Amino acid sequence: MKNTNIVKDPHFKLLSFLITSARGCIDEPQLYGSLRLIDAAARLIDIMMVEGKTTEELLNLKKAIEENIVLVMYDEKKYIEFLDRLVKDLAKIIKSA
Amino acid sequence: MCLEDIIRVIKGRRCVRSFREGEIPNEYIHKILEAGIWAPSGGNIQPWEFIVVRNRDMIDKIKLVSPGLFGDPSVIIVVCINLEKAKRGGRIGESMAIIDVSMAAQNIMLVAYALGIGSCPIVSFSKTAVKELLDIPKYVEPILLITLGYTDKWPNPPARRPLEEVVHYEKY
Ligand SMILES: Cc1cc2nc3c(=O)[nH]c(=O)nc-3n(C[C@H](O)[C@H](O)[C@H](O)COP(=O)(O)O)c2cc1C
Repeated sequence: MKNTNIVKDPHFKLLSFLITSARGCIDEPQLYGSLRLIDAAARLIDIMMVEGKTTEELLNLKKAIEENIVLVMYDEKKYIEFLDRLVKDLAKIIKSA
Repeated sequence: MCLEDIIRVIKGRRCVRSFREGEIPNEYIHKILEAGIWAPSGGNIQPWEFIVVRNRDMIDKIKLVSPGLFGDPSVIIVVCINLEKAKRGGRIGESMAIIDVSMAAQNIMLVAYALGIGSCPIVSFSKTAVKELLDIPKYVEPILLITLGYTDKWPNPPARRPLEEVVHYEKY
């Protein structure tokens, strides 16, 4: 059966991203593995948003990812600092739960 | 010819990863591609082939298999090498073909910029998947995607290694 709608499905979009990234990461710079994971995290928050599972803190994480993701291509040090901040923010969310 | 304009275009072109809606006129696409084929190529072999994707659904499908493609471009140009043609370059044919299409790609992006259109070259895409999606024959290899679209966000220029660091006069 031809399923034309599946390509618009947010879960399927993430699935495609993960599979093609898994292959791509084998040949690409090591740091790009991290880039794909953090990109996938933002995409996951998108899905959680549609499903009504997001909180303001989670949306802030997504905003931070969107604003800083390109650092990986321009400034490795700043990219890693951004990830450190992100992990800290995540820990705060977990702690307060 | 105005040298200042050329330098302005070379220095002003940026990789755009956030596009707004807006159809690129066919005549612009034509001009952009024409710039591509006027690139130099080893032995004038011209091993390039370009697939212009404007169909929204197909752009979305290509996005699904291109982890390094950011934003929603209006057009994707799939820059390919015709391996049969590249063979004419001998043992270095394929690596030379990559240099050739890279030069074509730069021309494409510069003319796009001169027309007010943002672009980004993308190597992080699944060649296997794009070949399948676009029915690309075995002897044609996609090398690079170039996204095209209008933008409200021209990024700041990322730093360049200074001339003193990268240029060596007379000997290394
Ligand atoms: C061969 C090549 C492959 C690239 N691949 C990607 C890519 O997959 N995704 C992306 O967002 N940018 C890609 N870029 C863009 C570079 O990150 C960008 O050119 C660089 O950071 C300098 O920025 P500028 O072009 O705006 O001066 C690529 C550039 C080149 C030349």
